[in-house]
Amino acid sequence: MSKCLKLVAILLCVSGTTSAQEVIDSLQSDSYDFTFTESQLDDDNDASQTVSTISSSNNDPYMGEVGYRFSPMRFKVRAYDNMYEQTYMNGLLLNDVETGRFQYSMIGGMNDATRNKEGVADFEYNTFGLTPIGGGSNINVRASAFAAGNKITLSGTNRNYVVRGMYTYATGLMENGWAFAGTIGYRWAKEGVIKGTFYNSLSYLLSVEKRFGEHHALSLVTFGSPTERAQQGASTEEAYWLANSHYYNPYWGYQNGKKRNSRVVHDFEPTAILTWDWKFDDNKKLVTSAGVKYSRYSTSALGWNGDAYDPRPDYYKNLPSSIFDVYDLENRNNPDFLQSNPYFLSQYNDLYNFWTSSEANRQINWDRMYYVNSVQNQNGDETLYYQERRHNNQLVLALNSTFNHNIDINNKYSLGISLNHTTGMHYKTMDDLLGGEFYYDYDKFSANEYGKGSVMNPTEAANDLRNPYKRIYKGDKFGYDYNINVNKAKAWGVIQHTNSTFDIMQGLYIEGTTIERDGKMQNGRAPQNSYGSSGTAKFLGGGGKLLMSYRPFANNLISLGLGWDTNAPLARNVFVAPRMQNNFVDNLHNEDIFSSELSWKFRFGSLTGKFTGFFTRFKNQVEQTAFYNDQENRFTYLTMTGIAKEHYGLEGALVFQVDSKLSFNLMGTISDAKYIDNPYAQVNYEGMNSQTNEQLNSWINAVTGAEMPLRVIMKDIKVGSTPLTAVSFGINYNINSWFLELNANYYDRVYVGYSAYRRLSNVLTNYSATSSIGGKPVFNIDDGSGRTSEQILNEDGGILFDINGNYVDAYSPSLEKYKGGFMLDASIGKNIRLSGGRAISINLSFQNLTNNTNLRTGGFEQNRDDLYSTGVARAYKFSKNSKYYYANAFNAFLNINYRF
Amino acid sequence: MKKTIFHIGTWALISVGIMMASCMDDHDAPDVSNYSITKETSVGDPTITIRDLKDKYASVFTQNNAFTLIEDDEIVEGVVVANDKGGNLYQTLMLAQYDANYDMVDPARCIILAVKNTCLYPYFAYGQMVRVNLKGLYVGCYSKLPKIGQPYYTSSNNLRLGPMLFELCKTNIYLVGKPSDYAGKIKPFVLRDDSHEMFKDPTYQNYKNSPMLVTVVGKFVGGDDKTILAPDELKDAGMGVDRDFKVGNTTITVRTSTQNEVSFLKMPKGTVRLTGVMSYYDGWQIQLRSVEDMQKDMEIISE
Repeated sequence: MSKCLKLVAILLCVSGTTSAQEVIDSLQSDSYDFTFTESQLDDDNDASQTVSTISSSNNDPYMGEVGYRFSPMRFKVRAYDNMYEQTYMNGLLLNDVETGRFQYSMIGGMNDATRNKEGVADFEYNTFGLTPIGGGSNINVRASAFAAGNKITLSGTNRNYVVRGMYTYATGLMENGWAFAGTIGYRWAKEGVIKGTFYNSLSYLLSVEKRFGEHHALSLVTFGSPTERAQQGASTEEAYWLANSHYYNPYWGYQNGKKRNSRVVHDFEPTAILTWDWKFDDNKKLVTSAGVKYSRYSTSALGWNGDAYDPRPDYYKNLPSSIFDVYDLENRNNPDFLQSNPYFLSQYNDLYNFWTSSEANRQINWDRMYYVNSVQNQNGDETLYYQERRHNNQLVLALNSTFNHNIDINNKYSLGISLNHTTGMHYKTMDDLLGGEFYYDYDKFSANEYGKGSVMNPTEAANDLRNPYKRIYKGDKFGYDYNINVNKAKAWGVIQHTNSTFDIMQGLYIEGTTIERDGKMQNGRAPQNSYGSSGTAKFLGGGGKLLMSYRPFANNLISLGLGWDTNAPLARNVFVAPRMQNNFVDNLHNEDIFSSELSWKFRFGSLTGKFTGFFTRFKNQVEQTAFYNDQENRFTYLTMTGIAKEHYGLEGALVFQVDSKLSFNLMGTISDAKYIDNPYAQVNYEGMNSQTNEQLNSWINAVTGAEMPLRVIMKDIKVGSTPLTAVSFGINYNINSWFLELNANYYDRVYVGYSAYRRLSNVLTNYSATSSIGGKPVFNIDDGSGRTSEQILNEDGGILFDINGNYVDAYSPSLEKYKGGFMLDASIGKNIRLSGGRAISINLSFQNLTNNTNLRTGGFEQNRDDLYSTGVARAYKFSKNSKYYYANAFNAFLNINYRF
Repeated sequence: MKKTIFHIGTWALISVGIMMASCMDDHDAPDVSNYSITKETSVGDPTITIRDLKDKYASVFTQNNAFTLIEDDEIVEGVVVANDKGGNLYQTLMLAQYDANYDMVDPARCIILAVKNTCLYPYFAYGQMVRVNLKGLYVGCYSKLPKIGQPYYTSSNNLRLGPMLFELCKTNIYLVGKPSDYAGKIKPFVLRDDSHEMFKDPTYQNYKNSPMLVTVVGKFVGGDDKTILAPDELKDAGMGVDRDFKVGNTTITVRTSTQNEVSFLKMPKGTVRLTGVMSYYDGWQIQLRSVEDMQKDMEIISE
């Protein structure tokens, strides 16, 4: 702690000795500090949380603001995944080709260096790439683009980190044609606002540029943000209730009296980009950027021997509601039952008291795990509990080249190519044996299924037949080890014509993708198809977009945008069980997207605004979820193919400028985003061989006995973890360099993240008609709960077959919708101009002023159903115990800039 | 230019300095030499033996499935003679009465202590003397098997005496001495054939002699050196598989849970010696504790 503070102090002292430079900064760039983005952009959200899509169109009053305004609720524009937004730096595309997403953490803590960006929405012309439906942005970090001078930023907050210091220095373009710029930052928290989390992150960016005459310039930039941070986990409402806080974090526990988090992320993605700007003349320019990135990302997690008790403190068997069905008011949770069966209430109270009597009781018990392992040591046995580290590293080589030509004032076009080669390296290592001496590398669940070497001699349990049952020590690789190789090549072009009454923009692209898995272990459950190459899957895609705009009269623009894309599925989704084997998912196709929007942008005196209606349809999508399956006690992959979804809705923004000092704004969206069909499913348990997995994927018709393709009943299920309704009213006031901002935001229609497992056609109840009247099947659906058959189907889901076994209909279990709520945010700031071009700006922003701690931002259903394999209902109701994330409670962010 | 170089140098130094700052995720291993999940101070001196406990609550122990709450301090003591180390016993410990007069553990005076947790064996090792204050717990039978625990609903929706909450170990259980103090004093009751009265005389076939720690000598019916004890496809509603085992002319049941190391043991052709938890329902049944509990005839001969 003291060491870190000293270093920050040194940083500040040293920067104070640098010479003053003249600062030429626009008011607009100052005002960036008075938005809420300053802290939110580098919060480095946990991977388990959804990350808000940050569209930042410079020309759109809605898109330009919405990502920032609604980010406390992890708002996703149009409910799109982040993979549909692209981020470029100096023209080089930085999205991860395996996940499709840009990792904001790679530029975390370098806000002052990365605020010079051009943002565009889906149907906006731009010079850096033909962006997908979520739009994109291009960050300019050429040294000459930095304002010359020094800048120190100090921040204090009560969020993921508590202090931040940044120092930026730039020479500006010097007479000799050189320009240098750099920024260094540090973010730190011994404990963040969420208990048990910490934050330790350095950031750096160095940029150098050399101009060669009027036409050429070379720019080299390197940056990175080595970060170590502890994560927050979602939990059930019951756990939050017992902990008396919606910010209960099950990921930590006390060890030697100190808090220790089980999920610690190590993240460092050093990147270097070399850019060649060739300016033919004022209207023609070629920008070519080549980059290399070697990212090292890993996260730790607890692991345990198959039979050992689950060490997670909020494991359902530890919770009071595991004792009896608290939701069954008729048969269980009523005075009569509980008085006649007092032992249930007694056990419930014992667990309640255990949870509430001491904070340590509801957190990870590290001492217990160390103790168990010490006993194992004494007996010469392997460790029962350990902490593993899951690595997802990448080596990326990329190149983008773009030619821009402004033909005349009305016509322009851009052409470009994009190349990317990525090797993703995925493996896990033994991070900490927790006092144990060694661990055997074989799949413990598989050993229970097939036996292991000492008893029989099966191969299934071995994770690597080339090193079967290897003893694992700290730092050793074990479990899985494979590379994913992805190559992408894209060529694109976009042309725009504008005149006084109409604009037309048209873009086209073609893209090729290859994907290959290269296994480094020979897995015993897939001995023939796990080691070495999977072979290469090749996809040829492409698409285009068309925007037609019409100006019926001055300051009014009506636009119609149409787009169509057919792209390769993501590499992370295309393998049946990538940790285990090489097989590709069945029925792999390009994913198709049709997008459209109709918008009206206007200005009437002091009133400006934009309204947009949009409709997007996704077809043939592939989604994979990987999770620990509590139902089967196995790590499970579930892949859906042939997914069809629709996203549609209205969005708009109004700004009323009362005078130069005061303005009001109103913005919001109401939309829908849902699955419109029941996709195919493919399930793979990591601990099972191909024969057993084949059985898992069977769905048998209860009437005919015929095998049917496995499906997930997803029709009408909403896209979760983002508000589908969001409205904001804001007031901005500035006077004498003071800035005031007040925003009242309302969020609603946030749905929990669905569990595909609970909706599998062979997990849902299949009902057969008992008879047929007038050709219509008659069903007897009664679970004894007093609900009507319609209620049972709508709440629990089910699949109907007529008396001949013909499919009639399918119902998906209902998806929980969260309660809506308000959040009030405010900001106040002051710019102080000092002599010699120096300036200080101070900003204090408050989020969630009313301290609304009941706003759920996301969460997920548990992958388990409510019945034993016998068909009898469990006491614990997984269907009523999803896990949730909540928006931050009241928090503040103080930011002070000093430019000199 | 000099200024620039100075700045770059400064940044480089600061970067190196901060990168060398200590990792925040370093933790010293805790001292667990005195760690215990059980009560750290005594729960009191024993007030009743296992044998007397069974007699005192004979009215519940004589039923198939019944239980009663112990409302007063009643402290029973026993040595762990079976636990879940082999994976075949689930949430189960078997305590045997220690006879101080003979300085031996009595394998015929046993009771099950059920605890809601898996991998109990590091806490309750073989040979560990355990003292349990029964106040607040229940004693009774689960399918005629005498047990200490708490009621629960089974996966077949039957109300039964199940495991006690793990959390109650901290208030109701005290460990006496070390496992090594008693491990050498445990000798299973050996049944080399079916001549013993317990196979014939119904007065032996009740809660008083159930459960027991026994070693039986005999042969598997259908033993072929290939078939495994408990293949998953043969499991019943209780997630176990029954195999017939001949002790002399008497058939007893070897019951084995699926999906554990014991379940993959092959049934030998010849004579074997089985050691484990024997109990009586409508016949004698034995459950092996671990793979070491099955010894083939050659191993017996070599003894």
